[in-house]
Amino acid sequence: MEGDAAAGQAVFLARCASCHGEVGQGTALGPSLIGVGAAGADFELRTGRMPFGGAPGAQAVRKPPAFDDPTIRHLVAYVASLGEGPSIPEPRVETASVPSGQRLFIANCAPCHGATAHGGAVGGGALAPALDVATPVQVAEAMLIGPGEMPVFSGLPQGQRDAVVSYVAFLQAQPNPGGVSIGAIGPVPEGFAAWVLGLGLILIVVLVVGHDWRRGR
Amino acid sequence: MTAPRAVALALAISILGSLALVAIYVFGGSIQLQGIGLALALGGLGTAIVIWAVGLIEAPIEVEERHSFAAQEREASIAEGAADGEQISRRRFLSRLLAGAGAILTAALVLPAFSLGPQPGTDLFRTAWRRGMRLVDAGNQPLRPDDIVLDSVTTVFPEGFVGRPDTQTLLIKVRPSDLALPSGRDAWAPEGCIAYSKVCTHAGCPVGLYRAREHLLLCPCHQSTFDVLRGATPIFGPAARPLPQLPMEVDPEGYLVALGDFPEPIGPGFWDMTHPGGRRMR
Repeated sequence: MEGDAAAGQAVFLARCASCHGEVGQGTALGPSLIGVGAAGADFELRTGRMPFGGAPGAQAVRKPPAFDDPTIRHLVAYVASLGEGPSIPEPRVETASVPSGQRLFIANCAPCHGATAHGGAVGGGALAPALDVATPVQVAEAMLIGPGEMPVFSGLPQGQRDAVVSYVAFLQAQPNPGGVSIGAIGPVPEGFAAWVLGLGLILIVVLVVGHDWRRGR
Repeated sequence: MTAPRAVALALAISILGSLALVAIYVFGGSIQLQGIGLALALGGLGTAIVIWAVGLIEAPIEVEERHSFAAQEREASIAEGAADGEQISRRRFLSRLLAGAGAILTAALVLPAFSLGPQPGTDLFRTAWRRGMRLVDAGNQPLRPDDIVLDSVTTVFPEGFVGRPDTQTLLIKVRPSDLALPSGRDAWAPEGCIAYSKVCTHAGCPVGLYRAREHLLLCPCHQSTFDVLRGATPIFGPAARPLPQLPMEVDPEGYLVALGDFPEPIGPGFWDMTHPGGRRMR
């Protein structure tokens, strides 16, 4: 179902124009939306990053979407009409492309999002979010538009982008046996495990050395 | 377990650890496995010495009477016990085991000497980048400046050397008006495309973290931060040198090509980086 750009404009003027300008030209408070396309608007609205609710200069983070589905479609149609931009991608999630997707993910995405897509700090107070709840369409949109600090990966061929999406879906489908999820491995749980194992070994050494060997003889 | 058996067991573990260390080194196993072998060798030896000292060496408290000069009956019996055949053979066995463990461990520790050569020659100063080589992505596709999207980051290699670690280079596109490169490098960034070595100058990690809005490259290992617009100057973290910039231009067919190798050695600093011979060789 295509959204209605005119209905979207009405919502835009009420909820978005104070930062992005009456015709999406951008102001000191918010960037221009001309050319972000349907993909940009759909990503920001469906992940709840817009409307922005944080402190000025803070990073937009995922929260429940502020609008219902028809309203988002109208807004997306209106923002897409502001200028030429990427349309909403339709990624093909295929098990067969998971291996190539892993190679691409490790090379291009893992430095920030981590090898298991559980996110991490990227310096300067910015955070690369975990991709555990991102839908395939949202992952594909993020590669096209490069939201926030993220670089743009629209230069990758469509097939490679779909492979990355498939790999993220594969990561999300990993079974969790319960307990502390150390499979999401990070320096903190790894360090915790190292301490427990290391202290255990030291305890064994203490017991051996402190044993009364004369009595045992 | 009795003390002599515990000593023998610990020494045996030490010997096995040393042998494992040698085997792993010779057959090229991982450095972590070598570390485990060394830990077993040293740990076994140390444990054996401790148990030996605590459990086997007699240290009875003898109070000598002021006027007793002749050997007492009790002392004579201790001396007899020490001369007992079973005792001596056990002590000899454990002593030989200890000497063997020490000798094998010493031999194992000589091995790293073989890792001191051969000399790297000019390998540390040069990469495979040469004048006229096209920049290709990991899929071996040559790149035109127009194909590169603004604020994108691509890992590129010289054509024919895809995957060679020392040639990995980051190709980033920024607005040309934002660039403030060191003098003499203005021509190296055609249409805002700019390329830096992906090997961190601190510890050699791949510098894969690009913050597009701030135009900063971060190394995920130790958070060294490089300013892309200003010649990848380090502005934070342990890295002291900028990432070397790849000189490049657009060839007549419109593809990005290198103008030559990196102007300085890539990656972490090494012992004779300023060696005049090294500079000449580049």
